[in-house]
Amino acid sequence: MKMVDIRTRMLLAALLPVTLIAILLSGVFLASRFGDLGEAYSQRARSLARQLATASEYGLFSDNITHLQTIANGALRESDVRSVAIVNAQGDVLVFAGKAGFNPPPVLTRQEDEKFDPVKRTDLLLQPVTASQVKLDDLFEVNAAGAEAPSPLLGHVLIEFSRDALFQRERDMLLLGLAVTLACLLFAGFLAVRLGRGVIHPILRVSRIIERIGRGELSARATVLPGDPLRDLQQGLNLMAERLESGRDELEQRVAMATLELRQKKEEAETATLAKSRFLAAASHDLRQPTHALGMFVARLAQLPHDAQTSQLIGNLEASVQALQDLLDGLLDISRLEAKAVQVQLRPFALAELFDQLQHGLAISAVEKGLLLRVRPTAVWVMSDPALLHRILLNLVVNALRYTRQGSVLLACRVAADDQHVRIEVWDSGIGIAPEHHEAIFKEFYQVGNTERDRGKGLGLGLNIVERTAQLLGHRLQMHSTLGAGTRFSLLVPLVPLGAAMAVPSPQPVETFNNLAGLVVLVVEDDALAREGLVSLLKSWGYVVGVADGLSAALSQLEAGLIPDVIVSDYRLRDDENGIETIRQLRTKAGWLIPACLMSGDTDAGLMQAAKDASLTLLHKPVRPAKLRSLIRRLAADVQASGADLV
Amino acid sequence: MRLRFLLFSLWLAVFAGACAHAAVAVVIVSSERSPAYVEAAEALVSELERGGLSRYDMLQLTALEWAAAGPLAPKLFIALGTEAASALAKSELRAPVLSTLLPRSSFERVLRKSGRKSSSQFSALYLDQPLSRQLELIRLALPTARRVGVLWGPESQAQAPALKTLAQASGLDLIEATVGHDELLFSSLKSVLEDADLLLAVADPQLYNSSSIQNILLASFRAKVPLVAFSPAYVRAGALLALHVTPTQIGLQAATIARGVLLGKALSANPIYSLDFSVTVNEHVARSLGLTLDADALRARLRSREGLL
Repeated sequence: MKMVDIRTRMLLAALLPVTLIAILLSGVFLASRFGDLGEAYSQRARSLARQLATASEYGLFSDNITHLQTIANGALRESDVRSVAIVNAQGDVLVFAGKAGFNPPPVLTRQEDEKFDPVKRTDLLLQPVTASQVKLDDLFEVNAAGAEAPSPLLGHVLIEFSRDALFQRERDMLLLGLAVTLACLLFAGFLAVRLGRGVIHPILRVSRIIERIGRGELSARATVLPGDPLRDLQQGLNLMAERLESGRDELEQRVAMATLELRQKKEEAETATLAKSRFLAAASHDLRQPTHALGMFVARLAQLPHDAQTSQLIGNLEASVQALQDLLDGLLDISRLEAKAVQVQLRPFALAELFDQLQHGLAISAVEKGLLLRVRPTAVWVMSDPALLHRILLNLVVNALRYTRQGSVLLACRVAADDQHVRIEVWDSGIGIAPEHHEAIFKEFYQVGNTERDRGKGLGLGLNIVERTAQLLGHRLQMHSTLGAGTRFSLLVPLVPLGAAMAVPSPQPVETFNNLAGLVVLVVEDDALAREGLVSLLKSWGYVVGVADGLSAALSQLEAGLIPDVIVSDYRLRDDENGIETIRQLRTKAGWLIPACLMSGDTDAGLMQAAKDASLTLLHKPVRPAKLRSLIRRLAADVQASGADLV
Repeated sequence: MRLRFLLFSLWLAVFAGACAHAAVAVVIVSSERSPAYVEAAEALVSELERGGLSRYDMLQLTALEWAAAGPLAPKLFIALGTEAASALAKSELRAPVLSTLLPRSSFERVLRKSGRKSSSQFSALYLDQPLSRQLELIRLALPTARRVGVLWGPESQAQAPALKTLAQASGLDLIEATVGHDELLFSSLKSVLEDADLLLAVADPQLYNSSSIQNILLASFRAKVPLVAFSPAYVRAGALLALHVTPTQIGLQAATIARGVLLGKALSANPIYSLDFSVTVNEHVARSLGLTLDADALRARLRSREGLL
């Protein structure tokens, strides 16, 4: 577009004056030539008429028709002459030559006359014929009147001229003029284009270079030609491009260096985090096994009869083990969340169930602390993962109970202003959190005012888990707190319309716990201590327990006639054996799908996935005895309900 | 001697101025001051002077000056040209009038208009030549020509019978045609030219004038009929030859007559023709007609025939 614009302008600038001058000159010359032609035509016509008059003088005098006819015919041979008539003094047409259709002679006078017929485009010239005077200077020549008589009128010559040829010549001249003008214009245009190219091309070249530089192609350079009219401009452009390029390169280098530094810092930080995670994982795993065993032993110990003092000790022991297990559970949760191993399963469900569970689970501990736990009933359904939401609320309520010395804790919900969400709130009348701690409380192991790290005050993982889980679910978590006046956490959860909620089947009825005494449980565990603890616990629950330290031992047990109702296997066994494979082989050996669960001290995401793929419940060590018992009961109940499936 | 002549001249001049109008003998009235009239007047005056008449005895006027002039009492009035003649004819004069340098037809017209008759009181010396002299010249110049063509016009028709007689006497045939008033000249001219060996032009302004002469000459030339005219101008225009009198010749003859009148002789009652004459030949025309003519020789022979020598 710009290119066309420049070219058009150049062409216009060159052609406009030339056109004007050409038209003006052509006009002036044509007009003058037309005038000359017309003048020449009329002069020729008049002169021919006069010649004819002179020539026919004697013919008219002598009344010589033949002579006059010859003259007339001769005149007719002249170009443009259409017709000739010679009229005598009396007005009689003596001779006529040429095309017919001659007008009757008009009134004849001694004056030369000329009449133009615009229709036929002819000129009729009237030429009087008088006798030519010969000066005699004679004494005899005095007529009767005494005065000199005018020369007698002999007749008239009438010639009709056609202007066709004149018009034709004028037309030819006009065409020629136009052709010349056009040729001039073409030539001028050609010259303008040729000469303009010398200017336009450099301009276009420069503008292309600028365009390229504008696009960021800073390496673009104009080729400086010796005869270029825009040489200075192009050199300046090149200089500019060079400066820009070097400036950009420098900048890029600096950015690259800064980025490199940043990356190094980031890598260092990541390495540090990784080291921390590894340390935590390793530590938790190494802690799990003994803690697991300890839990089993303490549970078994508690079942034995004791005196009051011992019982109190055992109670304390249980609390310690409980705290240890909570810590490990928390760490496990954190690592699972970090590993993104937690699968979110959103579904609509009634919030009331969740609230009930929380009330039932926590009412006792509240009462123990002398607090009032109030749960406001609700009928709303929400779209969330019930297990994860349960964990969030559990953590929040536990936290609230923990940091409240007196008063009450309130769990409630209300529909948010937009009618799309429900706001679940946990109020407490506790100590509150100072504003400077508001952000930090969500960090791992952060506890306000627990520098001595009192176990009873928890481990500082709760809010971190809450925050991470809420993020995972996409629920917004907010906290309002005033020091000394209590804290309020609120969680924004999508609301489910009541109609849609009803379509979802209600959870299965709570299973009835049968008396499972005599249930045969096969325990596969390579760690002797853990195995011992587990076996004694299971036996205390009245189960018949088969014990194996590996696959071969387990298979031997089956061969020996043991028919297990449930298999409980450690995942990591000796000699690179694992629980999943062991269970598979045992099932194959037994010929039916024996209900089984896995236990492991690893918090590895790969293991969780593998267990899930094998449809095996994975229990993380330390396994709480209550949890284990409920799982075994459920597995056994499933078998009873569906019957044994063949593999 | 020189002084005396000067004193005499001075006296003459004073005397002439004092009695210029009172005591002139001859009054010369010219129609105009064109060369022919001046020439004729000059010849007349010189000749009279040579005869002893003083220049102061003569008064020269033009016709216009004459009309404005006071009463004069000369012994003779000489009119040069038709206009002067008619002006004098209209005046009551006690002296005789000699009209000259005018053709016969003009003089007759002047007579008719003024109601005068040719007399010793009002006579003329004709400019044109007598028909007999013209016929004689024809015979001299064109001896083979027998048939003489003549065109008569309104003013010249009166001479037709005289010419007829003269022609018969000379043994020439006349081919005649008459052109009436407002009649086309050509048909008559054509009929004459068809039969004639030559065309004799008789002075008649109705026929021969500056407008018609070209075509007449052309027609006669085409018909190979030579034109014998009455004026040298015709010869210059293409006539073969002309018999005429020059203004000087007329002036000289008029002077002779005037001298006679001054001596007491009366004017001839009948107008007279000039005694002397000239012949002019167009040699180009003569050559193209295959003729060889010598004007001087012709004049000499004609004069000798008339016994003038």
